[in-house]
Amino acid sequence: MAKTLRFRFSRGQKLKYIAHLDILRVFERSIKRAGIPVAYTQGFNPRQKLVFGLPMSIGLTSESEYADIELSEDMDPCEFIARINEGLPEGLKVEEAVPLNTRDNIMNQITAARYEIVFEVKEPKSLFEIDSMIYDFLSKEDITIEKKTKKGYRPVNIRPLIYSVSAEKTAEDRFMIKAFLSAGAENNLRADLFMQAFSQETKLETDIVSMHREALYTSACNEWKNPFEVAND
Amino acid sequence: MHPLTMMQLKIDDRILLKVEKPAKYTGNEWNMVKKPLDNIKMRFAFCFPDDYEIGMSHLGMKILYHILNKREEVYCERAFAPWVDMERLMRENDLPLYTLETYTPLSEFDMLGFTLQYEMSFTNILNMLDLGRIPIYARDRTEGMPFVIAGGPCACNPEPLADFFDFFVIGEGEEVIHEIVDEYLSWKEAGENRAGFLKRVSGIEGVYVPSFYDVIYNDDGTVKSVAPNTPDVPGSVKRRIIKDLDSVDFPEDIIVPYIGTVHDRIMLEVFRGCIRGCRFCQAGFIYRPVRERNYEKLCEIAKNSAQSTGYDEISLVSLSTSDYSALPDLCNNLIEFTEKENISLSLPSLRVDNFTLGLMDKVSKVRKSGLTFAPEAGTQRLRDVINKGITNDDLVSSVRLAVSGGWNQVKLYFMIGLPTETMEDVEGISELSINLIESCRDIAERGKAINITLSTACFVPKPFTPFQWEPMDEMDDLMKKQYHLKDLIKKRTRNIKYNYHDARISFIEAVLARGDRRLGKVIYTAWSKGCKFDGWDEFFSFDKWMEAFSECNLDPKFYANRKREYYEVLPWDHIDMGISKEFLIKENQKAYEGDLTRNCAVGCSACGAQIYKTGICAKTKRGLAYGENTEV
Repeated sequence: MAKTLRFRFSRGQKLKYIAHLDILRVFERSIKRAGIPVAYTQGFNPRQKLVFGLPMSIGLTSESEYADIELSEDMDPCEFIARINEGLPEGLKVEEAVPLNTRDNIMNQITAARYEIVFEVKEPKSLFEIDSMIYDFLSKEDITIEKKTKKGYRPVNIRPLIYSVSAEKTAEDRFMIKAFLSAGAENNLRADLFMQAFSQETKLETDIVSMHREALYTSACNEWKNPFEVAND
Repeated sequence: MHPLTMMQLKIDDRILLKVEKPAKYTGNEWNMVKKPLDNIKMRFAFCFPDDYEIGMSHLGMKILYHILNKREEVYCERAFAPWVDMERLMRENDLPLYTLETYTPLSEFDMLGFTLQYEMSFTNILNMLDLGRIPIYARDRTEGMPFVIAGGPCACNPEPLADFFDFFVIGEGEEVIHEIVDEYLSWKEAGENRAGFLKRVSGIEGVYVPSFYDVIYNDDGTVKSVAPNTPDVPGSVKRRIIKDLDSVDFPEDIIVPYIGTVHDRIMLEVFRGCIRGCRFCQAGFIYRPVRERNYEKLCEIAKNSAQSTGYDEISLVSLSTSDYSALPDLCNNLIEFTEKENISLSLPSLRVDNFTLGLMDKVSKVRKSGLTFAPEAGTQRLRDVINKGITNDDLVSSVRLAVSGGWNQVKLYFMIGLPTETMEDVEGISELSINLIESCRDIAERGKAINITLSTACFVPKPFTPFQWEPMDEMDDLMKKQYHLKDLIKKRTRNIKYNYHDARISFIEAVLARGDRRLGKVIYTAWSKGCKFDGWDEFFSFDKWMEAFSECNLDPKFYANRKREYYEVLPWDHIDMGISKEFLIKENQKAYEGDLTRNCAVGCSACGAQIYKTGICAKTKRGLAYGENTEV
């Protein structure tokens, strides 16, 4: 039993077309429908005390998103999972939940993300060719892209935000890149921007088929950790 | 009934991920109705000729979707006008317009029902039919193709769209839609042809089959007559109304969109109709008489709906919510549960008086950001002309009450171009607004002046109003008035933000609103030139519309700016909305005398709606007041 929970959820194909704020709203409404005793903020416009780890852009599927929720009364994590899943639409599912005892919320804790990006190439390429492109790409010290900010576009060197990249050939013209990227409230590198940089630097024309978030990490004592591992720090 | 080869489209991610807000095109929202197709005998596509975000805010669609889907053998699905980015990709990829429930192309349906909410969405109807690969002209549709029908407020003058629809439904749909479905099922069973079905439905009260009527014109271009060309069809088509709103279903399990829409909340329709009778307002006449829902039933609906949707906001909707006779009871009952459930209650279309402010204080969750008033005209003289029964003092005291209650943003709505308007009346708009700011200075927060957002619409004369004979103001004059007002405000204050409507859009709206059947080819021509989303400033092309008029040899000013005589046959005279022409003529004359007409709660003015013998007409007799609501 706990009054604050951290949960992991997945987002499948059916719900990948909506933006982050819409996901937030889906959760708020599902929680209301499920009658989960959520705590609210004070003030004229009370909001549910619900914090998400990392925004999800349109098109992205994921098997490991995290959120923290504060309740108005104690609840068993298993019961929470069962109840909230009743109110969630197909395409969103809470997979796990644990009691949360840290003051730091999930949004501040997330520091890295692992992605799987499937893309097609216009001209046939071997895995060896892609691999050497990745090698050249990672050898650069400066990879500058134009990042969209509130005040227009700003050049950003994203090389420090790329931790590791590898590729697999999944079909004739199809490859899957696995990328381990910096993520979180500061220094976030989105998978689509990463791919844009990759195409820009390697001159490889890619047509993205799918983007999937495989894992999110927090860092503690120089180690990547599953957000559940730091729920009690 | 439907072959298993039925087409279900697969929409590629490479299309969906290239458009803005792809969730407009993917459906699968919470509470979307899913049905096994094997048992379905009739497939109905509810078509909204505008963007998803507008369409999903429309209460009428929610009601009919719910009512049709309650029938086991019927499946009602939804389609919206795709936004321009999606339309381009659909055309490039040869993808027909489909419904969100099952991704079925519109051409596979038995019936398409369009709602006519706004004249400037007419070209979108043609565009949707074209995208759905359905012949645009009704006469070109052959056996096996869907029947294309329409209803909604603009159907009260169906003539400009007569060429495109198989039939129209005049009035409220909850009951007549069942009759149409029943007729469809038995027609299908009987295996008759297309014309046979039209003949069958023409016998249903409220159904207008335009191909069964011929329009004859006078030499001067006015209508000589609209008369049946087929035996046994009614000479005049009577509007349908629901006598007792509590007797028809109101949807509780409404669809909850994933993306934000214009009205993204539970809408509780507290009553239909309006007691006020403002002379410019079509809605105030075509939905008469006022019929209320029972407040206990409304509370029940609100609770169930909140439970089913998870929405955190409930809005009381009607044409003038403060006229609801059981408003205190309803609000007190609602607040009891909304506060507990962290649901906010919003009350649009209110006239602010002591009661409503007290209420708003109680509703702690009401956001104190903006409050809206619609004086409509700047001088008392002109407000009397339009029968808007509020005075300058009413307005000042209301706004003062609001400001002392913590509101400091006020929205004011006016109209420019009303009959008899002079420049003095236009200047009155700025006078009135500045006067409001000044008279609130002593009570405004920290000595700051209140901020006013002032909007002026262009007056568009509409059928079935006392102003249906009036010429619309010339576009040049409307613009002159707008600029003059803009200058006046700029010179005097910085606390007013002034917005005004594009007079050219209003001009086309005016033509379509009071047009006749000949306008069909103008709409078609404008659409072929690329007109769509005409109500959106960024897409509206005045030049294309003007080219269309000239290519069709029709003068738009004949429809918009010509004074019509009382004896003239109007293109919509064969539609009976339950309001008598004598009453409208009397109201028109009273307008010129600045003579007010009492509202229905104070006493009956014999508008014609008494024939329905229901709602407020059944309660108000010979000037007897209705309920506790006795204010004028």
